[in-house]
Formats: sequence, structure tokens, C-alpha cells
Amino acid sequence: MAVELLRESYEIQGKNYDKAGEVSGEIKVLLRDLGIDAVNMRRVVIVAYEGEMNVVMYAHRGTLTLVLTDRDINLEIADEGPGIPDIGLALQEGYSTASDEMREMGFGFGMGLPNMKKNSDEFRIESEVGKGTFVFAKIRLNANA
Amino acid sequence: MPELKHGFKISTEKCQGRMPCMRACPTHAIRVKNGKARLIPELCIDCGSCLGVCPSGAISATTVPFAELDRFKFKVAVASPALFAQFAIKETPACVARALLDLGFDAVWEYSVDIELIDRAITDCVKKWPGPFPLISNSCPVIVRLVQVAYPSMVEQLIPVEAPREIAGRELKRRYSLELGLQPEEIGAIYITPCQAKTISILQPAEEEKSYLDGAVGISEIYNDVLQKIRKTTNAEGSPKSKFGIGELFHWGTPEGEFPKLSREHYLPLTGLTDVIKVFDDIEKGKIRNIEFLECHACPGGCIGGNLTVENLYVARSKNLHLVASMSRPSPEFEKEVERRYAVEDFSLRRPLKPRIIEGEVVNLLERVKRRKRADELLKGLPLLNCGLCGAPTCKNHAEDAAAARADLSDCVFLSRDRINFLREIYKK
Ligand SMILES: Nc1ncnc2c1ncn2[C@@H]1O[C@H](COP(=O)(O)OP(=O)(O)O)[C@@H](O)[C@H]1O
Ligand SMILES: [Mg+2]
Repeated sequence: MAVELLRESYEIQGKNYDKAGEVSGEIKVLLRDLGIDAVNMRRVVIVAYEGEMNVVMYAHRGTLTLVLTDRDINLEIADEGPGIPDIGLALQEGYSTASDEMREMGFGFGMGLPNMKKNSDEFRIESEVGKGTFVFAKIRLNANA
Repeated sequence: MPELKHGFKISTEKCQGRMPCMRACPTHAIRVKNGKARLIPELCIDCGSCLGVCPSGAISATTVPFAELDRFKFKVAVASPALFAQFAIKETPACVARALLDLGFDAVWEYSVDIELIDRAITDCVKKWPGPFPLISNSCPVIVRLVQVAYPSMVEQLIPVEAPREIAGRELKRRYSLELGLQPEEIGAIYITPCQAKTISILQPAEEEKSYLDGAVGISEIYNDVLQKIRKTTNAEGSPKSKFGIGELFHWGTPEGEFPKLSREHYLPLTGLTDVIKVFDDIEKGKIRNIEFLECHACPGGCIGGNLTVENLYVARSKNLHLVASMSRPSPEFEKEVERRYAVEDFSLRRPLKPRIIEGEVVNLLERVKRRKRADELLKGLPLLNCGLCGAPTCKNHAEDAAAARADLSDCVFLSRDRINFLREIYKK
């Protein structure tokens, strides 16, 4: 059994582009301070950043929880928002419902969820339309050490 | 890991424990215990921020004494373009080069060819790079060390292209050993450096390879001698025999290179460690997008503001602008030489750069997490004034030191009256 070492939760505000990226930034500093190797750190931060951005862009509010165990890093991103009607479609590369405004800001290439999946060793999405979305990602520490 | 060499020494004898160095250090690598400053070598990035602020003159830069260079049969100077911005307008790069010869160098390398070559190599590398972006320039050794120490996940974004001075060292050894029939070891490739960080990068390159250069001499170390030689020969016949014009000694970009072939909106030049750190923090947060290349120099104003330069930054900058403005277009010979060398030389970094291993982090993950939790807990009991009287630059540093058993929490004056008495003893006049 994996032993839980550390659990930290961060609030994410929907539509707040000024603060967007701060949560994944904080996670990066935390992992750096804990001496997590660069490869795993990069994977965690990509997943955290894309997950955070999706909450900022599409949801009202959300929480990102990082759970560090002796063998992996788990990210749980839960939001209150519109939910995803077709998860299979959302996971396709290039699929995006981002507005023109978001695209102008350099977001909405439809690569967020695919990249999160690619950078995780386990990846799961659950969603209920009208309520919200829950994303779970596990990055194993020894897999790339 | 081999023992780290550093760009400066703190003299325990002269140190009076006044702490400006500790407060100035951007990586929090200095502690002042028992009234004496002490360095945590793994955290030091050779930036020299501590050098100028010591009120007791206890910190000195390490450079190679000029006399030590006599062991070489043939000595070649590779002059940082910052050198030429140190003198008056009428003292042209050619005059300065002449003075270097009079000082005992056997040749002055036409360094701008190498700078141009690296400009091209960087432009090509940026175009072919699959990501992650932005790539970060590596010619400033302090920037490389900053990334290795404080931004380990960005190490692979340091551009894998050699610094121009290294390429100069390699080529000059090749050329002169052919021309003169000497062994490469008999030829001294000496960099005339604007900062002590480059001296260190030559003694101990960050990628753990051997440098192509043999040493460095600080601009400030030879400045007076160069000035004297220039004055002596102003009336004598002009410049050194050079097959090229001034363009070969002095590059028209900002000192140490600018990369005009990259489109403006994807390229960001940054100088000054404080600003560089701000931008790196934004990169970590994922805030910097659409930038392909960051050219970073730790000294404000770039290498002409280096801590071994003599002229003040603004005067040097104006001289530099003047030199750039007065330059003619690069000569056909120059262009031909660049073409020739670009076709045959490999400019890629010989070994990948890696994050620096920090001694305190060698313990296992569980212990690291415990320390962090302990540090967070201990921090709650500290005043958050960052007064430094405990000997650490910030309360956070002190909590971390205490959590790792490197310091006693009660060194905080808020927690112990004894500490004040102890300090009173130490700082007694
Ligand atoms: N937390 C979320 N809440 C609602 N919809 C989401 C959420 N995350 C992703 N989506 C939907 O999935 C699509 C694809 O997401 P993603 O792969 O991150 O690409 P992008 O964000 O660039 O559109 C989004 O355009 C959006 O319609
Ligand atoms: Mg997205």
C-alpha cells in the first residue's frame, strides 16, 4: 500500500485569468522544495496547469488537491461547472469549445486533456452535465526516475 | 560531485559579520553565524551580488593572476566585447587590441566571428526545437547556475549550444597549432572577462566538461596597463596587423551577442538577476507563452555591467552604441569566414546540463516531507520580520535550517534573550 505523505489543497476561481497558473506555480515550487526529480515534476506541472486552466476557462470554481505518497503523486481536480457532455469527444486532440476570446489569449488548442492523459500513468474523468467535473491523475515517481 | 569552485572568497579574518552579503544573495546561500559569513557552496551561483556590498572588503573575486599565463608558449587573448566599451571614443578596438599585444599577448582573437557563428547556431536551434519553450541562453554562467540550482525543471530549456568564447578557444587552438606547429596545450587561450563568473565557468564548466579556454583575466585587472600602453603608442603607427576591420574584434550586437535573426515578438532579452528571476517565476507558472528564446544576463545592462568592468554602465553603454553606429557593414572576408566555419564546425553543447544536487536534499522523500512540515510548523513561531539576526536571511530560511537541524531555532532573538546577549558580545566594539 502506498503511504500518504502530504496532502495540499488549492482553490481555483473560474474566469479569473489574472490568477490563472498560480496554483500550478505553487505546486511547482512545492515539488522543487521537496526535491522531486525534474522529469516527474514537469509531468505533474503540465497536468496541474492544464487542469487548472480548464477550471478557469470552463467552470465556476474548483479545488485542486495534490496527494503525495511514497510512490506517486496524485492530482484530484474537482469543479462546479457545466460538466462535459461527451468525455470521449473532449479527450480528442484538437477538440475545443473555447471561445474566440479565449483563443485570442492563446488558449483553446484542444490539447489540454490529451496532454494531461499523456503525462499521467493513470487518468480518469467523471462529469455530470450541469453540476461539474472531476479529474484524477496519477504520476508514478519511480516510472521515470 | 567534484568540489564546487566558486568565483570569490570570503576572508574570515576581515569579515565583521555585518550581513549585507547575506541579504544581497539571490539564492540565500550565505549565513552569518558567530559574527562570520559562511557560504553554502551548493547554493552559490557565482553571481557576485555579495562582492560589491561588503563593507569590510572581506569578499574578493578569484581571477587568474596575469603572470601565471607565462607557462604558455603562445598566448591568445579572446576579448569580451565589453572590454572595448571601457575606453574613450578615440581609443578604438584596434588600439585596445594593440595594447593587449604590447602587454604580452601573442595574438588577439577575432572574436566576433565566433559570436556570429553562435548567433546562427542559436537561430537554427530555436527553429528546430520541438519544445518546451522558451529556450534560455547559456552564455552567462550565472544564469546557467541559477537554473541548475533554483529551477531544476527548466534545465532542459537551457539552449544546448556552446558559448561563443568556448568556440573561440577551440578554433584558435586548432588554427595556431596548425600554423605554428605547437601542441594545443602549449597555446594559452585566455578570456578577457567582464565578470568572475566566466572565470569560474572556465575552471569548472557547468556541464562538467573541460573548457576549451585556459583561463581568464578580469578587465579591471589589466585596465590600467592597457590604458598606459594605449597612451604610449597613440603617436606611434596605428593598429595591429589584422586582415579584417574592427568588426572582427567587436560584434555589432549588444556585448556577448544579440540575436537579431529571431523575430522580435518571440524573443525576449533580459538583464539583471532580479528581473530574470521574476520572468523565470512566470515561466514556472506557465504565464509566459509564445516566447521562443530568452537571452538572459545576470548583470544589469548585460556584460558591459559586469563586476570586473571599470567604466560605469551608462558611460560604457553609450560608448558601445557609438562603436556599433560607427561600424561599417561586415566585410566580405568576414562573411566568407563565417560561412566556411559554419559549414564545418559543430556548435552543440558537448554534454547535457543537469540540475545541481543540493546536499541537504540527498535524504529520502519521507524525510524531506517531514522536514517541510516541520519547517512550516516552526515558521509559525517566527516573527516574519526577516531581520537576519539569527544568521539566516529570512525567517523562512531559518525555519528550514532548524527543521533540517542545521541551525538552532532559538537563534531567533524573539525566542531567546540569550541570543541578544550573545550578539552583543560578538558585535562589541
Ligand atoms: N472542467 C471542465 N468543465 C467543462 N468543460 C470542460 C472542462 N475541461 C474540459 N472541458 C471541455 O473539453 C474541451 C477540451 O478540453 P482541452 O483538451 O483542455 O482543450 P481546450 O481547453 O484547449 O479546449 C474543452 O473545450 C471543453 O469543452
Ligand atoms: Mg484546456
